[in-house]
Amino acid sequence: MIWKIARKEIKETLREGRFRIAGIIVVALLSIAVVISYNYYNYVQKQHAQASSNARNLWTSQDEKNPHSAAHYGTYAFKPKSPLSLIDQGVDKFTGISIFLEAHRRNEAQFMAAADQTGLARFGDLTPDFILLFIIPLLIILMGYNSFGKERENGTLQLLQSQGVSPRKVALGKWLGLYIPISLLTLGLFLSAGVMLALTPDFGLFSWTALLLMALVYLIYYGVFANLTLIVSAWTKSGGLALVLLLSLWIITCLAAPKAASNFADALYPYPTRQEFMASVTQDQQKGLDGHNPWNEEAKRLEKETLNKYGVDSLHQLPFNFDGYRMQKGEEHEAEVYFKHYQLLKAQFQQQSRFYSLSAAASPYLPARFLSMAIARTDYGLHWDFADAAERYRLKMMEALNMDFADNSAYGNWAYKADQALWEGIPDFSYTPPSLGQIALSHLSNFLLLITWLAVSFLGLFWITRRI
Amino acid sequence: MIQARHLSKNYNGKEAVKNLNLNIRPGEIFCLLGANGAGKTTTINLFLNFIQPSSGEALINGLNVAQQPTKSKQYLAYLPENLQLYPNLTGLENLDYFSGLAGKSYDQSELTQFLKTTGLQESAHGEYVKRYSKGMRQKVGIAIALAKGAKALLLDEPTSGLDPKAANEFGAILRQLSEDGVAILMATHDLFRAKETGTDIGIMRDGVLVEQLKPQDIGHADLEKLYLTHMN
Repeated sequence: MIWKIARKEIKETLREGRFRIAGIIVVALLSIAVVISYNYYNYVQKQHAQASSNARNLWTSQDEKNPHSAAHYGTYAFKPKSPLSLIDQGVDKFTGISIFLEAHRRNEAQFMAAADQTGLARFGDLTPDFILLFIIPLLIILMGYNSFGKERENGTLQLLQSQGVSPRKVALGKWLGLYIPISLLTLGLFLSAGVMLALTPDFGLFSWTALLLMALVYLIYYGVFANLTLIVSAWTKSGGLALVLLLSLWIITCLAAPKAASNFADALYPYPTRQEFMASVTQDQQKGLDGHNPWNEEAKRLEKETLNKYGVDSLHQLPFNFDGYRMQKGEEHEAEVYFKHYQLLKAQFQQQSRFYSLSAAASPYLPARFLSMAIARTDYGLHWDFADAAERYRLKMMEALNMDFADNSAYGNWAYKADQALWEGIPDFSYTPPSLGQIALSHLSNFLLLITWLAVSFLGLFWITRRI
Repeated sequence: MIQARHLSKNYNGKEAVKNLNLNIRPGEIFCLLGANGAGKTTTINLFLNFIQPSSGEALINGLNVAQQPTKSKQYLAYLPENLQLYPNLTGLENLDYFSGLAGKSYDQSELTQFLKTTGLQESAHGEYVKRYSKGMRQKVGIAIALAKGAKALLLDEPTSGLDPKAANEFGAILRQLSEDGVAILMATHDLFRAKETGTDIGIMRDGVLVEQLKPQDIGHADLEKLYLTHMN
């Protein structure tokens, strides 16, 4: 019986010009968005591969030079583009794609795609996630706002009621009638994106599981919107009023709530400005060891401790070059300072994330948005993870260079030069993002919130339609 | 089959139906006459459980409709004054849908047969209902009742707006249903149709069933006189 109602709803919807036009527009927009994203992705991947290869060549083809000079010469760590960024680009455009790795400094990621765009980019891009998160909920509203209203206005509701069908079955049938075309459209999009990704060899580690999980997130999100639409439709007396209320709900849910949450999170847990951050780092660094300055108080203390440890009177008697050793110890101190200050930033980020999670109770858009970006590996969490991996690599690289200098030269011998073998001996940066399981686990609260939204909205639907 | 026991309905202190007692057995057609606002539609809505009684009981096949709304509706069919169907579905699709909701499953030929029985021309079966006249929609409504196999039929001014031929055909269908053992309650203004079709006639005024008689006991003119007497 539920299926019968659903089939009738779908049949009516398909025969209505309103849905046909809206459906064609959405499918056209989605197709354009996927093609644009696919081309952009291809373009970025090629650039990424080329830049990675160039950076490595530049590093390994250095002339003979002092290892610490090579440390200052530096290299780049490139953030790999996730295959699912084809669907959700998340914050990728704003976080930068590469980090310059050099001695003494932990650099921020640079070369943000957004920085290369014109002012028109302020209006946003036509991307699949935009259509999935904003436009399809509008389509659901357009399809379902009059679901109960038209039965009431046309007079078919009485005949429906007189058939002895339970209100819950009517509600479920109408829900399915609204949900099935939308889910088919969504699955069609994900399937075509999956096929495109699977057939493109350069797209790296594509996973159908991740794609299906992302599709599941959107399907739950649409389930919530279908419920909200039918609740308002059943609650209001006229279709026009239902449409106005639903559009207001869409504005609050998809536009106002995320921006309000973002503003509140920033106000409650503000990040320091770049100047404040760098001033704090510099202040702390100056309190400790400066690897380049042998007259620094901390350098003198290290010198004394080292001489005592090895039981010698002069730095020349040490079995290694103390200059290289001091450089390494300076690097370690600077890394500790960076670690401390980045931890403070991270703590703010986590507070903001927690606040966002709480705000997600006010709008189903938020948990869906976070989950989509996380599964696509285009969220801030992933960027932090990449930045941390790049920093760990930088520290190992600096250690290898400094210790080569320390182990293979005598104190005061700044003329020491390492050759290509050392540069090549340092492995290229390789980043493995967190597994899907880790991502799912760390976003469990968002999953639960989205499922709660679905369950509560279903209860609301059954309650409001209990006496239709 | 269709029973009212001390059935009353108040709207903001005004009694729309007062202490109604009624018993329509299988095969009977009870025509309820009365002016606008007499309480005919309220009575039908009480049997459909669209509204709750203030006191008393409305029973279908012995089931209190307020207590067992879903189950009691399995036995009844309803045809309002101006039956509306889904305009973007064909007559056949509407019939298939509503009989499906009633838990019945028929193949295409059986559905077609139901429509034919009501006299709906075959060429219209596959047409969208938005192109149907009121008479054609009423025929689909009767087909829905037939397909449901309803034991009780509630009709609210079903012949209003129908041309005499269509109204006559409609009366014939009702008589056939009555012969098949269906109990029918028809609210109507049409005295002629009530006398021709009904097995019982009741006159309602201000929510009270003021007169109950057999059509064979009264002529057309006397029925009209009696009706007008009660309306004045």
